[in-house]
Amino acid sequence: MASQPQKLAYVDAKLGAPSNGQQTTRILFNTIEAPGTTSSLTFFRSFQGLTNGQTNLTQNKLDSMESMVIKTIWLAQLDTSGALGFFGGLVQQTVSIIVGNQTVVKNLPIQFNQGLNGQAYDRLHENGGTGLDRNIPPTDTFQTNIPCEIRLLTDIVIPPQVAFEVRIDSNAGAYGTGAVVCALAGYGKIFSAGNSF
Amino acid sequence: MITAQDKILHVASKLGLSSLQNMQASTGAVYDVDTELSGQIFSQATRHANPSVTNINENQFEVNEALLVETIAFYVKDGSGNTLNFQNNYGSDAVIVFDLVIGNKRVMKDTPVFAAGTPYAFANNGAQAINSGETRTSIYAPRHQVFMEGAGILIPPQVQWYVSYTIFNVVTGAIVTPTDATAIGCYLFGTKVLLNFNTSI
Repeated sequence: MASQPQKLAYVDAKLGAPSNGQQTTRILFNTIEAPGTTSSLTFFRSFQGLTNGQTNLTQNKLDSMESMVIKTIWLAQLDTSGALGFFGGLVQQTVSIIVGNQTVVKNLPIQFNQGLNGQAYDRLHENGGTGLDRNIPPTDTFQTNIPCEIRLLTDIVIPPQVAFEVRIDSNAGAYGTGAVVCALAGYGKIFSAGNSF
Repeated sequence: MITAQDKILHVASKLGLSSLQNMQASTGAVYDVDTELSGQIFSQATRHANPSVTNINENQFEVNEALLVETIAFYVKDGSGNTLNFQNNYGSDAVIVFDLVIGNKRVMKDTPVFAAGTPYAFANNGAQAINSGETRTSIYAPRHQVFMEGAGILIPPQVQWYVSYTIFNVVTGAIVTPTDATAIGCYLFGTKVLLNFNTSI
């Protein structure tokens, strides 16, 4: 099985992309403020008005000498007081990742890896949280569940300068008035002047 | 698949460190706390108490010592010196955005560590605490770690390193300022190379 560095090097070579950047661990994230109740959310599409604490990109593509492999999708929903809730409530939702004009993750259900059903895809995954009938509601410093996370079984590559986005579909998911956050984590290369000048 | 030892020897070869391969391989971690609230960790370790705040005398390794960073974690140290959980002190909506700088190169770039529990940390939710109020309920102490899967980064001998960070509220985007009671600490864990006199003298 090819490792993440091998897969990234293979795809970069196929695309003719530079491969001499700094190898590192990369986590991209993007926030949508006050999403409310909706049937579709798209992360990494809008960066307007977001601070460095809400996203670490300024556009929905990596720089010309940067690329990465996605191994994990991470989703969180926070209310205005800072308490972590269940992402989209408990209704069934799917996630799709679109890179360029290609859907590379298609309608993957996310609900099993969070919430109360405890049927996570991977065997090491913890249950998503404690019971709903708890007598003490969660607060910002009293967290009773954990964010939704899915580890991908194959390495998904985001090449340099190709637009990408993450789409969540549901039937009226309740995302609240705080914010929802999506992070894509994995192995990547970042621009390194020392190697390229 | 390249191993940690392979990576250390590869980088050492690139840097011309021909004697590193004769040193003692080990497991190690370095830690420090930003007690000055300056936004940098490790860069002021020389002024910190050892081992209550840090376990290094300066933010560079000795000759023929190195660390392949494989895990980076953040925590909170309060005014009494207690080591605490970041989320329990800052709330689930906090996020640390950090850079790891080695020499004059930024090797980790704008990396978020979410208070709610970071990516990769799902396999274990960390320690559970029990609220001792009228109703006993489990709460989570989430992990605030970055596992550098597939890409450990070598801190070579005699090169300075530090972590630069800012804390934000991810909902509002506002900067959150730490206090003396909530100073941010960080550890770097991984495969360590220790000076081995038997082969070098």
